[in-house]
Amino acid sequence: MPRPEHRWTFEAIGTHWTLESDTAFSDDVRTDVLDVCERFDAAWSRFRADSVVSGLGRDGGEATMPAESSRLAALYRDLERVTQGAMTPLVGVPLSRLGYDAGYRLHPDGPPVAAARWDDALHWQGRALRLARGEILDIGAAGKGELVDQVTDVLLSAGHRRFCVDGSGDLRVVGHREQPLRIALAKPGDAGLAVGVAELAYGALCASATDRRRWSEGLHHVLDGRTGTPVTEVQASWVVAESAMIADAMATALFLSPAAPLRELAEFEYVRLFVNGQAETSAGFPGKVLA
Amino acid sequence: MQNRPAIRTAGALAGLALMGALAGCSTTAADTDSQSSGAAAGGSAAATTSPSSESSASTESTDTGSADGAYTDGSYTATGSYQSPGGQESVEVTLTIADDTVTAVEVVGDTDNANSTRYQSEFIGGISDVVVGVPVDELQVDKVAGSSLTSGGFNEALETIKADAAA
Repeated sequence: MPRPEHRWTFEAIGTHWTLESDTAFSDDVRTDVLDVCERFDAAWSRFRADSVVSGLGRDGGEATMPAESSRLAALYRDLERVTQGAMTPLVGVPLSRLGYDAGYRLHPDGPPVAAARWDDALHWQGRALRLARGEILDIGAAGKGELVDQVTDVLLSAGHRRFCVDGSGDLRVVGHREQPLRIALAKPGDAGLAVGVAELAYGALCASATDRRRWSEGLHHVLDGRTGTPVTEVQASWVVAESAMIADAMATALFLSPAAPLRELAEFEYVRLFVNGQAETSAGFPGKVLA
Repeated sequence: MQNRPAIRTAGALAGLALMGALAGCSTTAADTDSQSSGAAAGGSAAATTSPSSESSASTESTDTGSADGAYTDGSYTATGSYQSPGGQESVEVTLTIADDTVTAVEVVGDTDNANSTRYQSEFIGGISDVVVGVPVDELQVDKVAGSSLTSGGFNEALETIKADAAA
């Protein structure tokens, strides 16, 4: 069976998307996909002054968030607990301190600061979100995956049955049982090299690495919330799970935690690459590392 | 955390008593020192700092006697079994050795017990040797997954800063 014949690329939430499908992308589907992306960005983006979360943090306050809030809140609460605070949606303030702020200052404006504690600064349960004044909610670890899932749902509702949603490396694959997609796991720092290959017939594959959003020596976007400093032991991770939200979140969590407690929260398979160059692969990962 | 991979590798192998079986397969047995260094190179350099690694090393020494200090290059496969709540389970482990270094570890579980599959995959998650990488264009792939391409804003800001720094 050949690759899907229809292809549509667009920009949304500040990144590049590629959709491929056996079914043509109608005007209605395109409108719905772009609407889903815009609504997500308008609610959650910490890079937009007019987003709901930016408004809540500026003055402190409470809002009713879109439906995905329930999923995201439950997942983040679990991850915050299991990583003992290392992974937290309150990482926005420490990230901004190091220079990864809404204006892309890209230089620190002081020593690292730890993230605020969840119970002190955040009430987030179901669709209710309350944020203390001055806090910056950052759902970057799971948000793009969640949006990949939402775009997938739009295509499924429109009758697409064999397609791939690629949000710049965060993938959802549907209907490729007969011919799984072969996906290279790009080596950090050298996208021309692969450290492995995954084969995906159905489900999500998300990657995280510290080589791209790195703005100066030792400064990148994956922080330990307890110290506000960038992690140093893992350089990349790839996670296969049923949903892109889970895969995306676990890809970041693997920088901050051993795999075992994370796999108590959700089923996933993974590869992670340590800074010493060794790769750790879970036994069920659908693919292999090319050592 | 640098030593976590070593601990997990050594722990898994020691727990399954596979190093002894491996040494038995080897046509050229090794002394304790070179075996330890082989394990350390494959798992990582942390073997001597990890209690679980040390215990596995002492297990090895009882199973080997020759003092010529080298493994024969090649792949070694051993099957280990253990008792789980779901019954007897087994795993097959293949180690590839080159120049006294473990260069690859492959573990294949043989179980249809869902729980065991899960726990096996927990504790036998393989640690590879240092990954050099293969040119992507030599692989037949449909897509590439790496870190997310970053937003235009980030990249523009970074370029501006680099330009300022160079000026």
